[in-house]
Amino acid sequence: MEAKRFTLNKKTWIILLVMIAIGVVSLLYGALAGPGIKRMAANLLLNNYYFLSLGLIGLFFITAHAVSESGWHTSVQRIAEAMSSFIPIGGVLLLVFFLSGGLHLLYEWTNTEQLDEVLQGKTPYLNEPFFYIRTLVFLAGWSILAYFIRKTSLQLDIDGERKYFNRLRVLSAVFLVFYALSSVISSWDWLMSIDAHWYSTLYGWYVFSSMLAAGIAMLIILLYVLMKMGYMEHVNTEHIHDLGIYLFGFSIFWAYLWFSQYMLIWYANIPEETVYFYDRHLHFSGVFYINLILCFVVPFLALMTRNSKRSFTILIPVSVLVVIGHWFDLYLLIMPGTIGGEASGFGLVEIGTTIGFLGLFALVSFLTLAKAPLAPYKHPFYKESLDYHTHY
Amino acid sequence: MYVSPIREPLVRGGKTYSQITKDILAPMAGRPSVYWYIGISLSVAALLFGAWAIYMTVYVGIGTWGLNKTIGWAWDITNFVWWVGIGHAGTFISAILLLFRQRWRTSINRSAEAMTLIAIMCAGFFPLIHMGRILLGFFIFPYPNTRSLWVNFNSPLLWDVFAITTYFLVSLIFWYVGLIPDIATVRDKAKSKIRKAIYKFLSFGWTGSVRQWTRHETVSLILAGLAAPLVLSVHTIVSFDFATSVIPGWHTTIFPPYFVSGAVFSGFAMVLTLLIVARKALNLEEYITKIHIESMTKVIILTGSIVGIAYITEFFIAWYSGVEYEQYAFLNRAFGPYAWAYWIMMTCNVITPQLFWIKKIRTNMLVVFIISIFVNIGMWFERFVIIVTSLHRDYLPSSWAMYKPTITEVGLYVGTFGLFFTLFLLFIRAFPVVAIAEIKTVLKASTDKPMQQDHE
Amino acid sequence: MNKYLTAYYNDEEDLLEGLNKIQSEGIKVTDVLTPFPVHGLDKVIGLRRSRLSVIAFIGGALGTLIGFFFQAWVFTVDYPLAFGGKPFFAVPSFMPVTFEMAVLLAAYAIVFAYLIHNNLGPGSKNIIYDERITDDRFLILISLEDKADDQIKEVETVLENAGALGITLKV
Repeated sequence: MEAKRFTLNKKTWIILLVMIAIGVVSLLYGALAGPGIKRMAANLLLNNYYFLSLGLIGLFFITAHAVSESGWHTSVQRIAEAMSSFIPIGGVLLLVFFLSGGLHLLYEWTNTEQLDEVLQGKTPYLNEPFFYIRTLVFLAGWSILAYFIRKTSLQLDIDGERKYFNRLRVLSAVFLVFYALSSVISSWDWLMSIDAHWYSTLYGWYVFSSMLAAGIAMLIILLYVLMKMGYMEHVNTEHIHDLGIYLFGFSIFWAYLWFSQYMLIWYANIPEETVYFYDRHLHFSGVFYINLILCFVVPFLALMTRNSKRSFTILIPVSVLVVIGHWFDLYLLIMPGTIGGEASGFGLVEIGTTIGFLGLFALVSFLTLAKAPLAPYKHPFYKESLDYHTHY
Repeated sequence: MYVSPIREPLVRGGKTYSQITKDILAPMAGRPSVYWYIGISLSVAALLFGAWAIYMTVYVGIGTWGLNKTIGWAWDITNFVWWVGIGHAGTFISAILLLFRQRWRTSINRSAEAMTLIAIMCAGFFPLIHMGRILLGFFIFPYPNTRSLWVNFNSPLLWDVFAITTYFLVSLIFWYVGLIPDIATVRDKAKSKIRKAIYKFLSFGWTGSVRQWTRHETVSLILAGLAAPLVLSVHTIVSFDFATSVIPGWHTTIFPPYFVSGAVFSGFAMVLTLLIVARKALNLEEYITKIHIESMTKVIILTGSIVGIAYITEFFIAWYSGVEYEQYAFLNRAFGPYAWAYWIMMTCNVITPQLFWIKKIRTNMLVVFIISIFVNIGMWFERFVIIVTSLHRDYLPSSWAMYKPTITEVGLYVGTFGLFFTLFLLFIRAFPVVAIAEIKTVLKASTDKPMQQDHE
Repeated sequence: MNKYLTAYYNDEEDLLEGLNKIQSEGIKVTDVLTPFPVHGLDKVIGLRRSRLSVIAFIGGALGTLIGFFFQAWVFTVDYPLAFGGKPFFAVPSFMPVTFEMAVLLAAYAIVFAYLIHNNLGPGSKNIIYDERITDDRFLILISLEDKADDQIKEVETVLENAGALGITLKV
């Protein structure tokens, strides 16, 4: 039984295009008038990184489940695939951003004439040619693997051949190995090197955990939107429950890594390290606590009971708050090092750019969803996902 | 519940429910085999060696150890961390794999949990003996005393006390709650009166009624939900012992998740080492199948790779930080006087587990067994490298020193092995090593031959 | 329960099927004893979802409060001592012990609640109806306290039709 095909209706098209237009307009406003080009560039980096990472989490979702031979995920696999289709687009945008001056504008270490002793020591790693090589390798690797994983997954729809199932598993393993290294290194390159003097070994995993929680929340929101439009009828309460557990669990996991990093730096109290949190606490104390509340306190308290994980009435508001919360997490990672405490703010540029990227992300995802049935109904595990119960 | 036909069965041999009961209870029945007697003799001998070492430490003093002013922690804390790490597999299997709905865990969780409990006992012993006056061990708990002084809640060593104690107590009830229905099975199958009375007492009056089962399932799930973050917290707090300091090589933010991953890595290695022998010796090959072993090797690949990435990250960031002491600490690890330990660790932990990518290797029981031993050795050296090489050359070259273990310290370590195997061998005789009731729940969905009914 | 009837099945699927038949005849099944948890059985018998999780929550909340405020009290009121340049009210330092206390109390609260609720414990005097229910038998119990003799016959026929084996009357 082939699942219902998705078609993007006119109204949604228009809404998404308007959202993208708002993004473009607020970027222009940011660049030409008002807050200035640096703040606009920082926003561009933030949103570009955020939505690119959400795409990657989509791919991570598919591949991790494929490798662990889980069954239930197949019911929402197509949504995760749709999210992953943003990877090449986000990748190109990021590359264009760096090449068109974003790199020089935001990253202190590119200013090679005025490097202090510490930063001079880092030039074997932090130099432009090597930076671009790494960026290219990551973006190309992700895009190519995303393409082949999607292709194999669609081939599985034709007759559910074992060959494609095995190939999907092999490709997934390849992606996971590549992603394990590239997600860490790319977060050093694109985010940690903003505060070029500062370093933390946990940084890469911390950023990953943040994006993971946000990615699951985005997946839940997309699922909700599709169900509201009358699609995804094969998804039942059990699947929603499982996604709710993920959101709950990964939010706790994020808090765990946040605490580990913060506590160790606070406790050892080495000036070179504490300066990072000192600045964030001094100039961004509001965002600092909003971030913790939205990313941990809200999902932890709201999703504790079984019923709240099973109904959209609680799950959706929480997901939206978590997506916003991790946006603020990135805000805290990027803004202090690029535009600093005095010049940064939260206004039209921030909101507009985010709306624009959200529109683009949704549009790309929806267009991908329209290309194939909404469920991999010939996947060997698809039938399993229709018949199971969550006991917790 | 529908299960895809392409999945491999978890129970082989077309078992019926009563056959399962019989097979799993078999190792407990009758007289123990010759091998069991040999095993327990060796274990008790090791335990006696340990007792001698405790006597030496307490009677003569901590001077019988190889520690010196520069290297204040070495062998004992290495063993402590190593045993705690081994104690991570059991609860990981029962809690986290349950939440991730991995059904292969049902055959191995019981023995892994027992192993966890014993390993925590072995681990807890080392900090206690390191205090020198083991009889004053209760000082570590906050209690109103005549000095009106409390413990230092700012100290990670105290957090350890709470973490290890909680972990032991929660693992204990988690294990026992799961064991109650199986003890009832032993009770109902027991022939002799004394045996029946003992197991009746231990079974807490289990009747198997539907009310009991529903609550049993609920309580198991909630305990799993509580135990899952608890597993993460224990080795996290152990890593805080090092990472909260300002010692190069110790103070690094990646330690918490990296220690947890390493702990699960070494724990699974120990489970593999034990179960590959146990499944043969106890005739449980149809329950602990190659699929179970393979699944465990996959967990080893995952956690081993995370550990590998953490090694590389630490090394890279030490260079990237631009701090000369950090840089020196890591160069000293790799090329200093303890380089041999570092390269043993690298080979055993980073390279050997990657061999499991090859299907031929991970389905060959002998090779898996050997690799699991390598991982155990590698993880011991990891702790040794972290502790000793970071300490032995500090900021003042005049106080640089080397460390060599003494016979007393070796005795303490061998003694914990004695304790571990003695208790494990007793466990095999006293309780069913596989969760009987749990394995019956997966039987229908996952057997190689449809079950024949034996109507009697 | 002084007067009751037992019967058994050898397979959980037969059991569920049989139970549906028996209950549709209007006979109330008092209890079912099984060697392992049979999914869907609680619904057939009409049990509500267990509320044990509430107790775990209370235990956890209590552990959090006790753990946190005890440390805070010791370090700010009872015996403030400066350690390693940390403030007296050092919130990050209190987190590990607070967390462990929360887990410890939650786990023990729920296990004790479970044991008491289930009437389990050392020396418990629960009746063991059939020694094979921990092996391979699925036993059903039907209380006959308020039934007359002819009604009992009726129940027995229903059970027989529902495929139950070894129907025995115990007085």
